[in-house]
This record gives sequence, C-alpha cells and structure tokens, in this order.
Amino acid sequence: MIPITHFLVVSACIFCIGLYAVISKRNAIMILVGIELMINAAILNLVAFGRYDKADYGGQVFALFAIVLAAAAVAVGLSIILMTYRKYKTINPDQITDLRD
Amino acid sequence: MTNLLHISPIYASLAVLLFPLAAFLYQALRGKQDQSGIVGLLAILLSTAASAFFVFFPIWQQAPVEASVSWFTVGKHTFSAGILLNNLTVLMQLLVCIIALPVHIYSRVYMKGDPGIHRYWMYLSLFCFAMLALCVANNLLLMYVFWELVGFASYLLIGFWFTKDAAVQANKKAFIVNRIGDIGFLIGIALVYAHMGTLNLSELFGKQSPLFEQIPLWHTERWMSYAGLAFFVGAMAKSAQFPLHVWLPDAMEGPTSVSSLIHAATMVAAGVFLLATVFPLFNESILLVIAIIGTITALTASYFALAQQDIKKVLAFSTISQLGFMVVAVGIGAWNAAIFHLVTHAFFKCLLFLCAGAIIHEMAHAIPAAAKVDPQDMRNMGGLRRFMPYTFILMVIASLALAGFPLTSGFLSKDSIIIAAFEWAVERGGAYLIIPVVLVVVSFLTAFYIGRMIFKVFFGKPKLWSDEKVTVFHEAPKGMLIPMAFLGLCSLFFVFSFNPISHQNAALMQGLTLLTGFQPIDSLHMFIPIVLITGSAIGWWLGYRWYVQGKYPFQENNAWVQHVQKQAYINEFYQLIIVRSTLYLSRGLYWFDHYIVDGLTNGAASVTRAIGRISAWIDRNLVDGLVNLVAQTSYYAGHLLRWVQNGRLQNYMGFAFTMVLFGILYLVLR
Repeated sequence: MIPITHFLVVSACIFCIGLYAVISKRNAIMILVGIELMINAAILNLVAFGRYDKADYGGQVFALFAIVLAAAAVAVGLSIILMTYRKYKTINPDQITDLRD
Repeated sequence: MTNLLHISPIYASLAVLLFPLAAFLYQALRGKQDQSGIVGLLAILLSTAASAFFVFFPIWQQAPVEASVSWFTVGKHTFSAGILLNNLTVLMQLLVCIIALPVHIYSRVYMKGDPGIHRYWMYLSLFCFAMLALCVANNLLLMYVFWELVGFASYLLIGFWFTKDAAVQANKKAFIVNRIGDIGFLIGIALVYAHMGTLNLSELFGKQSPLFEQIPLWHTERWMSYAGLAFFVGAMAKSAQFPLHVWLPDAMEGPTSVSSLIHAATMVAAGVFLLATVFPLFNESILLVIAIIGTITALTASYFALAQQDIKKVLAFSTISQLGFMVVAVGIGAWNAAIFHLVTHAFFKCLLFLCAGAIIHEMAHAIPAAAKVDPQDMRNMGGLRRFMPYTFILMVIASLALAGFPLTSGFLSKDSIIIAAFEWAVERGGAYLIIPVVLVVVSFLTAFYIGRMIFKVFFGKPKLWSDEKVTVFHEAPKGMLIPMAFLGLCSLFFVFSFNPISHQNAALMQGLTLLTGFQPIDSLHMFIPIVLITGSAIGWWLGYRWYVQGKYPFQENNAWVQHVQKQAYINEFYQLIIVRSTLYLSRGLYWFDHYIVDGLTNGAASVTRAIGRISAWIDRNLVDGLVNLVAQTSYYAGHLLRWVQNGRLQNYMGFAFTMVLFGILYLVLR
C-alpha cells in the first residue's frame, strides 16, 4: 500500500508547479491552467485523506464536488479572459496594470 | 485825470521790480527763440518810467512809506516781507533804473550776433530785478536774499563767455570772495536779530528805535558793534574793499556792458548802500575802521591803476578807488556824501565803461582775426580821436568827472567827501589828518591815471595801422552813442546842482540829512577845490608829457612799474597762502575722510560681511541640510514603496504568497 506521504509530496509538487505557473506565466490561459493544477493538488489531498474515512466516503464526495466547481470556475475564468482580451487586446497580465495607484 | 495818475508808490515800486522779473521769466521760457532782447529793454523802460514818476517824485522829501505782508513764522516771530520807500531807497532804485536803461540800449548793439545773447538778456533782467528789489527791501533778511541773488547774477554775467578759461576762473573768484562778505552779512543779521528781536529796517532804525537816538544799548553795545563790523565785512566784499578787492579786476572778463552796469555803477555800490542803511549800528571805533579800510582801498587801487595796460583794468581799479572814497565818507559819518558820490560816480563810471566798450568793439572789428592782438590792451591803441570823435569827447567828459574837474558832477561829490573828511579830521586833530591828506593824494593819482588812459588811447599815432587813412576804423554806431551821450549829459554839474562849485546846494544832499554834522570850516571850501584842481591839472600835464610827447621816464620793465602792474602781487599772495593752504587742508581732510572715517565704516562693513557669510554657510549647510536630509529620506522611502503598487496582478500574488510563506515560517519556527 502506498503511504500517504507520497500522495502529499506529489500533491505539494503539483501545487508548487501551479503556483509557479500562476506567478510567472505571461499568458492568462496558462495562469488558469496553473489554478487548475493547484485545485487538482487540493483534490488529490482530499482523495488521499479520504482513505481514512471509509464509512461515508466524504473525501471522495468533496473531490467530485470540487471537480465540478473547478469546471465551473474554469468556465468563468475563460469568459473573464475573453472579456479582458476584448477590452485590452492582450491577455498578458503584465500589460494590464489598471490596478496601479 | 489826476486820480488816474495817482498810483500808490508801493504798488508802483513793486511794479518796478516785477517788470524785469517778468522779462527774465519770459526770456527763460523763450530761450533761443528770442534774441532781440526787446522784452528786457521794454521792461527796464517801464521800470524807469514807473520808478521816476510814481515812486521817486511822490516819495522824495516826503514821509517814508512802508508796506509789508507776513512772510513766514518761526516760533512766535513772524517775518515780514515788504517795501520800504524813503529818500535813500527811492533814490537808489531810480539810479539803478536810469543806469540800466542806457546799458540795455547799448547792449542791443554791443552784444549783437553773440551766440549766447538770449542768456545775456535773461541774466541782465535777473540782475535788474534783484538789484531793484535789494534797494527797496524793508527787511534785512529779504535784503540778504536779494544780495545773494545780485551776487549770483553777477557770477553768471562774469562767466558769460564760459568757454574762456579766464572768465570761468574770474566768476569763480568773484563768487568765492563774495561768499566771505556774505558770511559777514549773515552774522550781522543773526546778531541784530538776537539782540533786537526784529530785522525790519524801520523798526530797527526808525524814530521809535533806541538806535535812532544814538542811545547806547548798554547790555548789547559790544555785540551791536560786532554786528556793525560784520555788516561792514559784507559790504567790503560786495564793494571790493581792500583785502577783498581782488575779484573786481578779474570780473572784467564779462562783457563790457555788464562791467559797466554791474561792476562799476550799481552792484558794487550795494555795499555802500548797505553801510548807509545800517549806519546807526556803527559806533566811533567801527566808523574809524571803516574810514581806514576805505582810505587804504582808495590809495592801493589808484596806485595799482597807474600801470595797468588793459583799458578795462584801469577802469576797474578806478572803480575800487572811488568805492574807497564812498566808504571813507561813510566812515567819517557823512553817508549822505557817500550816496551823493555813489550817484554821480554811477553815471560817469558807467559812461567810461561804455566808451571803453565802444573802443574795444571797434578794435575787435578792426583787428584781423588772424592777428592775435588783445583789443583791450592800451599799448595797441593810440590816435583814436580822429576816428571816434564823439566817443573821445564823451570819454573826456567822464574822465574829467572822475578826476574831479569843475563843472562836472564828480567835482561836486568828490569835494563833498574830501571837505567832510577834513572837517572830521580837524575836529579830532593829530593822526586823523592822514586820512584826508591821503584822499587828496588819491585824487591826484586818479587824475594822472585817467589822463594816462585818455592820452594813450586817443592821442599819439595808431600803433597797429601805419596808414592814417585807414577806413576799417570808424565811430561807434548810433545805438551805442545815444545812451553814452545821455550818460555824458548826466555827468555834468547841472543835473545835481545849479551852482557848479557848491555841493551843499545839490538836491541830493538836501534829501539825505545827517543827524550829526561837523563844524563847517568855510576856508576849506575855498582852499580844497583849488588844491585838487591844481593837483589834477598837474597830473594831466604829466600824463600829456609822458604819453603824448613821448618823454616817458621809466624803462619798459622797471621793477616798480612791474610791481604796480601785478597789483603788488596780492593775487599771488592769496593764491600762495589762502588758496594753497585751503587746498592742502581739504586734501588732508579728504585723506582723513577717505582712510579714517570711510576706513572705519568699510572695516565694520567687511567684518559684518564676513560674519554674514559664515552664518549663511551654517544656514545653508547645517540647518537646511538637516531639513533636506529628512525630506530626501522620506522621498526615497516613498519612492521605494511606490514600486510595490505597480498594478501587476502576479506581483501582488507573489507578495501575498511571500507573506504567507513568512507566516508559515513564523508558525513553524516559533
């Protein structure tokens, strides 16, 4: 049986990759991909810990719930990117600095 | 009709002096546009008419008239400015008018074509105004104002040809020497005011005044005599008395018509007029000083006149000498004789100068411009009587009057002075007799030098023209001859007295009465004129022998003649002692001022400047530095923090994660 530590390490690695992508990518799509990676790392954690809840499968259920939510969030994110592109004619977050003071 | 002609003498007198003032202002405003001088001439003509008919005749031998308005107030004392008309002042005013009128007419021809003629008319009108006002001022302070104005006009006219260095030097000299006298006058005014509390002439010397009765003012007597002395110093400068006479010969640098009016007939007489006005101030000892100074002046001036080569210088010295006579007359107490001589002298001296001017005028025209010959030098003249017969006759009349020959006005007035002097001296006896004796000698010298002038100018052969039929030289124009003829007429006896040998019957002498007379000595009235006439005749005869017949006894450069010609080196003496020492003193004072006074100030200034520089450095670098440091620091801090707010989402997120990381690290490491 694979110990839980392995799951957690893989999950952490995926989270870090996602985080890296979110912080450093110059393309909003890739940032969205990074976010998906981070969600998936969390889902992996839910599934991994779900092993200790054999009676209710709470972890499994939450994982499924989170996957649905992530899908919805991706749809919303993509539409935001689309609107952003329409407005700024770019999806490079470095060039969108309206939040500046 | 009589009402129409009846004008108050005060207003008439005011008009007399306002006409020339108006002419002056008109000429000053018009400037070069009016060169004819017709306005000035008209003004003096009106003044003369007004002075004669509306001032002189109503006032002469009548009660004095006075009018004044308040001028200014100092403390509780109000000074008034006004007009005082009595026998003396109306006589003086009329005299100035009558002398000024022919001079104006004469000037129209004499000054014709001069580039600065508009200034000439302006100055002449200013002078006339000042002199006419001086005569009738009722207040010593007002008199002083016009006294200064007269001096100033004289300064302007002496320096009329201001491009000539000699003229500039001469007017400077006249002005400075007159300053000495003006200080005397001012001190006199101050003393009189301090002790009498008024400067009004009628209050000072009128019938109510203690001075009128010759009552000694015990507590102020000494100061009043100092005041008298101070007034005499004033008169000395203006009337060119001995130590201060040096300006008058130099003043001949002005136009001759000016010399005639100002420096012979009227202005120089102002000093004598002043002495006559303040006469009650003088006590015995002051009068003696005045008489001695006058005698010295008369003697030295006639002595200097003996060897002058410049025709105007001879006349200038004769003026000084005659002024000396007048001052002696004041000094012996016979100020009426002084005024009488002043009046007669004004006519014949004015005439002498106008004749000299005519000669100089013709000489200057006849001498070719290229030949550098002085037209005023008598050595270049000679034989002019053939060319200028009328001028010759007139000048001889004037010279005879000056020398005091009978039938002339000069005889009357000069004899009146000398006889009065003898009577005065005989009353006192002893050394006092020197004064009249000197006056007699001066009369002889006068006859000699004026004879010398006539002979050198009109007799002999022309020096510059070998051909006697020269046509370049001719008689003076009519515009000059007519005023000269008028003055010539006035130089004769009948204008003043119908009796040609007795001065006592002269109308003028009767108008000016003395308070104290002398013991008349009848024998003198016979004896003195005979002595004087004999002496004068000898003088003329000697002159004729020496200068016409050519029996001149001296070498050309005789030391004695040189000494006389250089005026006994008085000018050089003044130059050496007074002018040089003054210059040295002022140079010393300049040094003191420049190095000590200014040095102290400058030292203090540079010390202050250094302190200022140090405190400026401290201010800039320490105080401002601190403030700037704080400001810069906050600026850089702000600048640094501003970079965080760059609007990039990913950066914000990065920061957020970093902070979360720090939080986790904190939780882990706690």
